[in-house]
Amino acid sequence: MMRSRNPVAIALVVIAGLLMLAPMLWVLALSLKSNAALMADTNAVFDGAFTLENYVAILGNGQVFRWIGNSLIVSLGMTVGVLVLASLAGYGFARLEFPGRKILFVIVLLGLAVPEQAVIIARHQLFSWAEWHNSYPALIIPGLSAPFGVFLMTQYFRAIPKELDEAAMLDNASRFTVFWKVLLPLTIPAQATLGIFTFLHAWNDYWWPLISATNKQMFTLTVGIASTQMNFAQTEGLGFLMAQAVFAGLPILIVYLFFQKYIIQAVAGAAGR
Amino acid sequence: MRIVLTLALLLAACGPAKDDRTTLTIQRFFGACEAQYGAVTDVAKAEGECGIMTAIINRFEAENPDIRVVENIVFWPGYDQLTAQLASNDAPDLVTMHGSVISDYQARGLIAPMDAELPKIGVTPAAFTGAARAAVTIEGHVWGMPIDTWAPLWHINMNLFREAGLVRGGKPVLPRNPQELIAQAQQFRQRTGKPYFVQGAANEYAGYTRNFYTFVMQQQGDLFADPRKANFRTPEATEALRLFKDIYDRDLTTKNQDYSAAVAGFMRGDGGVFLVGTWMVGAFDAAAQKDGALAGGYAVVPYPQLYPQRDATFADGHNWVMPTNTERTPEEHAAALRFLKFFAAHEFDWSRTGHLPALRAVIDSPEWRALPHRDALARLATAGTPLPKGVRRQFPIETVVGQEAAAAISGAKPIPQALADMERRVNDILENL
Amino acid sequence: MATARASKHDWPNALFVLPYLVVFVAMIVVPLGMGMWLSTTKGDLFGVEANVGLSNFTRLFGDPIFLETVKNTFYFVLLTVPALTLIGLGLALVLNTPARWATVLRTIFFASTVLSVTVVTLVWRLVFLPDGGLLAVISEALGRTPIAFLNNPDLAMPAIAITTIWWCIGLPMVLFLAALQQVPRELYEAAALDNAGRWTTLRRITLPAISRTFVLVVIIEIILQFQLFGQPQLMTLGGPNNATRPIVLFIYETGWRQWELGYAAAAAQVLFAMILIAAMAQYLVASRKGAQ
Repeated sequence: MMRSRNPVAIALVVIAGLLMLAPMLWVLALSLKSNAALMADTNAVFDGAFTLENYVAILGNGQVFRWIGNSLIVSLGMTVGVLVLASLAGYGFARLEFPGRKILFVIVLLGLAVPEQAVIIARHQLFSWAEWHNSYPALIIPGLSAPFGVFLMTQYFRAIPKELDEAAMLDNASRFTVFWKVLLPLTIPAQATLGIFTFLHAWNDYWWPLISATNKQMFTLTVGIASTQMNFAQTEGLGFLMAQAVFAGLPILIVYLFFQKYIIQAVAGAAGR
Repeated sequence: MRIVLTLALLLAACGPAKDDRTTLTIQRFFGACEAQYGAVTDVAKAEGECGIMTAIINRFEAENPDIRVVENIVFWPGYDQLTAQLASNDAPDLVTMHGSVISDYQARGLIAPMDAELPKIGVTPAAFTGAARAAVTIEGHVWGMPIDTWAPLWHINMNLFREAGLVRGGKPVLPRNPQELIAQAQQFRQRTGKPYFVQGAANEYAGYTRNFYTFVMQQQGDLFADPRKANFRTPEATEALRLFKDIYDRDLTTKNQDYSAAVAGFMRGDGGVFLVGTWMVGAFDAAAQKDGALAGGYAVVPYPQLYPQRDATFADGHNWVMPTNTERTPEEHAAALRFLKFFAAHEFDWSRTGHLPALRAVIDSPEWRALPHRDALARLATAGTPLPKGVRRQFPIETVVGQEAAAAISGAKPIPQALADMERRVNDILENL
Repeated sequence: MATARASKHDWPNALFVLPYLVVFVAMIVVPLGMGMWLSTTKGDLFGVEANVGLSNFTRLFGDPIFLETVKNTFYFVLLTVPALTLIGLGLALVLNTPARWATVLRTIFFASTVLSVTVVTLVWRLVFLPDGGLLAVISEALGRTPIAFLNNPDLAMPAIAITTIWWCIGLPMVLFLAALQQVPRELYEAAALDNAGRWTTLRRITLPAISRTFVLVVIIEIILQFQLFGQPQLMTLGGPNNATRPIVLFIYETGWRQWELGYAAAAAQVLFAMILIAAMAQYLVASRKGAQ
């Protein structure tokens, strides 16, 4: 951009940036106070007596770790699953001929228009009949059906010059070898985008884990933090709750700070399509 | 080959030891307090619903090493989850269930009858109080083991009452009709500068419903003459809402506090009377032993009778029920019964929470009477009144009633409109059972 | 020409797409059809009791609570989408520079987007709490009584909207940044040569150049915010006085609280129809953009 910056605009944006940070800093401050002090008076935040006791309590007896573990398993599982399925299907749609290929691709694309709400009730019934709730497969499988991945990979494969395929096939390579050895390595950028997007989506998913993982042991982190908020007696105390929130937000924020560029690219790329 | 064998041995050694014990899955609400009570087995030292329940379960596990106990804590009230679990054949062995909800699950055959089971562990229906027995009895059969009966109460900060001149002969002065209530509340406000009532009114609807039901019942108003049809547009219902709207309009109650803020607020001395249930008696009594706004000045009484027709308070109760599960083994079934027997033996400990015991033997015992404030609460055994057993979906109804009552009381809606909406929504639920 | 070449010998090629298609059919096609069927039934989580044709839908359109949720959802979209779009555009315009300070600010503005809804609601409840929340503490410091946003039927939805804007502002900002970076430099150089002022450049050059992205952002945000669920479920329980209940929360409560699965499925179909219309609009815009 060549225009000079409007100082007023910049000042406004800086103030907005501080406002963006304020809630998170507030939660951090509350998490460093003892539950007893906060019970007596929430203004106690400012009296300077900070403590790490809430974090110690989490480390000692935190269900948060179990939740994080579940989230990791589900998110990684879904990411790997989507990458595998979408890459295979993308190659198939982009490069191979088979009867019905065009129709099937259009149908998959139409799937992009189907929101979660239209299918979640029926999915829940299906898994109930299969008696398969409260399991990792139940949390992972629905996410594997998202058409976005197939769409992305198909576009990407299409963009690769066909000469590469033909060169490999001159050596009598099978379709699968062409896929595996020649083309797939060229799709790493798309894989990264798709992988990150899927991981984020799986990590933050709320409604499906809420109704499928009803057993406390199977809670993902997102559902676990929700359960803490809805707890009738809220016996754990405000400081402890805030520490939980920090624990829940921190992993993904740290990942974000390290992989910012890729994450932003992934989310923007996904939405732009 | 050797590598493979070594790996296999290593894997076998590193794997978790196979647990052959019988598994007993107990599902309950009452909150999570593992941070404080995760390892406690001394039930006598535990306080509060969460603490005592956790301690009892821990103790049972310690005393029964041949049973592996899986404790599922659900966020209150846990029925969304339970329903989803039952729909996918993932039922726990025992689950806590309110008396008002039992008929919904019983009608669909989702819980097991206990007529034959309870005598096996030495507990007969006659051993329970009338209220407790009524909670689990449908059409002559028993569908669970009662844990307690609970009701909303007036928890009083005697220090503030004294300051307001509302203590006589060591006992709190209570209103005998709505006019006295307003007069005393205003006097309280004048002399202490604080609102008379403390209520957890935000994000909370149960409290509104309990107040509403109680004062309609006291006027002998009939909300569910036909259990399948609600009738809320009555003078009694209007009066019940009018009373609380008046209290709200005159600033005689705290506002905008959610449940935990109200609890903390009462203990800080935000007001004179906290409208909440039996489960807080133990906690407040403990707070009164320490320094603070409640120090040495805590009393609790059932809702005063404000209308001459009847002395009644809306009540409900907690019970253990056993969901039907064709895959449950006889050993698991036996383990569940053992837990029920253990729990019944610790009924007195549970009653330290403040809930009314379900067992007659405990309620009549001198130990229970000696617990602080219990003699004042004994009246609940007769005044506690649940909704008729035939009313189904009481929990969704409670939410609807509470939402509309809250709207009327805060002035968002005129009372006749709120009652009409309440009635329409509740009948909508009941018609589409 | 492609179809003429596809022959029986090519069936094995379909094996590549088969795994995905199995999941696609099982998790999208079948549930979609089942959902439509369920919406014509009366039943609960334990089973279907009877087929009731379209009576669920007639009941929905006569149900004041459902109609209110539709109104609430539209109101919420109105509160959030213009704000998200315009603020996102403003931020992108100011932060479209490689300077260090801009990078830091961009990081801050996108950070909230990676959090889950449950963390966001926990954080913002502690901002809005009238008894010790961040806003309450500030109000009291300024000598005023704290406003109970979430308990006020008129302020609750705006409060949830503010929470959502805080949460979602990253995406529009990033999309606009990408679009701004596509604008050819020659256009700006030409404008500078003509001595065009800052506002004129903005109006005549920048905005028209990113107009497709602008429409895209609006449509994407409309689709996203139609699906409002977690924030009201956790922050206000749909209240006070039903003021913050959106359609998705209605579906959840009807299906899993009131045990009326058929009715909930019908509401889900209505929402689907609304989103479909918005999604088709997005597709039309995107394909026109692609054709350019």
